[in-house]
Amino acid sequence: MGVHTNQMNVRSAIIFVVALLFGVWIAPGAIAADLNDVGYVDQADLANLPVFVNANRALAGYKSQYDAQFSNQMRRARNDAQKQQLAMQFQQLFNDKQREIVGPLFQRAQLAIAAVSASRNVSIVVDKRIVIYGGQDITKDVEAVFSSQQAIAQPAATPPPAEIGYVDQTVLDTVPKVQTANNTMNQFETTQRQIYAAKLAQSRSPSDKQQILQEYNKLVSDKQDQLLKPLVDQTKAATADIARKKGLIVVIDRADVIYGGTDITADVQNAVGK
Amino acid sequence: MAFVFSCAAASLGGCAPNVHSSTVRGTGYVRVDDVVKHHPLYPQLSQLDDAIAAINLQYAGPQVPLGARQIASQTAELNRELRAAQVRANKILAQKQRDYAQREAQAVHAALAAAGIHGQGALAAQQMSSQSAQQAQQAAQAANSDFMAYQQGIVAQDNAASSSIVRQLQTQAEQKYRAKAEQLQQNETDLSLRLTQQDAASRLAIKMRLSNLAMDPAARKQAQTQLASINEKEAAQLSAQRQADAATLRAYRAQLDSQTAGAIRAQVGAIQTQTRAKLEEHRNEVSSQLRSLAPAAAPPNLSPDVQAQIARIHHQFVGQFQADAGKTIQEYNATKADLDRQFMALHGADVGATGAAAKELGSLQKRRTDLYQQIVVQVQRDAARLAKDRGFSIVFVNVQAAAGGYDLTNQVIKDVESQHE
Repeated sequence: MGVHTNQMNVRSAIIFVVALLFGVWIAPGAIAADLNDVGYVDQADLANLPVFVNANRALAGYKSQYDAQFSNQMRRARNDAQKQQLAMQFQQLFNDKQREIVGPLFQRAQLAIAAVSASRNVSIVVDKRIVIYGGQDITKDVEAVFSSQQAIAQPAATPPPAEIGYVDQTVLDTVPKVQTANNTMNQFETTQRQIYAAKLAQSRSPSDKQQILQEYNKLVSDKQDQLLKPLVDQTKAATADIARKKGLIVVIDRADVIYGGTDITADVQNAVGK
Repeated sequence: MAFVFSCAAASLGGCAPNVHSSTVRGTGYVRVDDVVKHHPLYPQLSQLDDAIAAINLQYAGPQVPLGARQIASQTAELNRELRAAQVRANKILAQKQRDYAQREAQAVHAALAAAGIHGQGALAAQQMSSQSAQQAQQAAQAANSDFMAYQQGIVAQDNAASSSIVRQLQTQAEQKYRAKAEQLQQNETDLSLRLTQQDAASRLAIKMRLSNLAMDPAARKQAQTQLASINEKEAAQLSAQRQADAATLRAYRAQLDSQTAGAIRAQVGAIQTQTRAKLEEHRNEVSSQLRSLAPAAAPPNLSPDVQAQIARIHHQFVGQFQADAGKTIQEYNATKADLDRQFMALHGADVGATGAAAKELGSLQKRRTDLYQQIVVQVQRDAARLAKDRGFSIVFVNVQAAAGGYDLTNQVIKDVESQHE
């Protein structure tokens, strides 16, 4: 009887557990399809294609040529204003050359990525570096389309709405209070670096040097906590809040997005700027 | 039963995430930077970061100007290195010239043999070619040694002028500093005197009272306290003044150092610009003289075709030699550029880490990158294994923010730590 009761109890427990599992399984909204429309590209692999290698080599050639001209002209510059103007002028020259040499290749790569994404039902393509498991590797497909002799047509439709969002950190850095905090931090670091460099130069023993360095690191880290951390926390909270409202699962940096995705930069910028 | 139930419940969300829930949707993420801090190799990474920061900090601010003697000794060392680099480059160039001349002579010999020219004709042609190469070689060697002597002379003049300027500016700065220090000291003496005079009457009165032997202990104690209070007040004022003066002196020293370094930089920079211009001008003269050395005329008994072929061979080898020599010159220029940076740093220019420090910095940065990469690869491998075991569809690293998904960071940390316990 005792054995029977125990057997009954075990059976009841199993039935209960199965029922519980089943209940959870069929509970509305509790289970949803996994995210499987995320693709990634190994950009380093793409950059190794001969056309990119040749283009980069040509660009490097121009760069060393510009560097030599730049150094020559900088030597003749009379004041800081002239030097700054020269730096801007040469940067512009290099940017123009880069656009001329690499621009058409990037454009074709973008078209190839869009075409492959459309055929693989991918809503966002990111850089391989940020995906450590899962996702669809579309690198080889993209390389094949890119390297084909045929023209690549523009995709018929824009990518489907993605549940992965992104923010452009460079834009968020232009929010006035973020900019002010960054400038203050930079100024603080520059001043302290000079003060501590002088202290370091006058110190004699390695332990003194170590102590000065620790003091400097702590000072900078405390200032960062005081000036920047509250803004970083506020930005993260605002980003998560907006993502929740827009039904996004995670939000990544714009720099890691190659194609598609949902841009929430403007919303975050407004929220942080308030 | 309790065990079965607890495990079942745990599998629904206690111990492991429900990776297919509507908020997670098979998506995980890992904060790699946080995991790295728990990696057993992290202390080594921190040490490297500290070492890099120390070098960067050391070369961050304007350097405190060195004494004239230190500058002279370090300049001499740099000059020795520069001379050694010149001698090395010239030796390599001379060797290359000999090799190319020999190969050119062999090529001319082969061309003559192919044209059926042997005996006296071939010998004459070869002699002409070889004579031309020898003349060019001798001229180049003479020009190089002349240039080297000229460069050394000019650089020595430059250094002497620079050292003199450095000495002069440092002496001026030292005089200014001493004058300021004396002035502040005088102010302190004046203040001390003023305070003493100011409190002289009160102090005298108290002392007079204290000299009265019949004074009761309470009144004596009160008088002593008053006297001590006057002394303390004076000492405090004087100490405050001394502290303020010390701060003024420190700031003045920093200001003088910065001004001196700026003035040294400007004046030494101007001297170096002039030196560079002189060297450039002389180098151009020597180069144009060397370029004018045309190959010797071939003997008239050779056919125009053979003469043309010999000329082609000459041009071909000259081209090859110039390309090859260009590499040696480039290497020499790189060494010279580094030494120039060190000269500038020595004379107070703010040029960042140079020479040995720059090499050390580069090596530390490489070690740091390699170690960080090694740690990250392991973290990512562990995270990927965990993700697979738990049935995730995709796992990201370093997301900006998450409204859903599952944060695997803590599990990866435990995993990384448990593997090294």
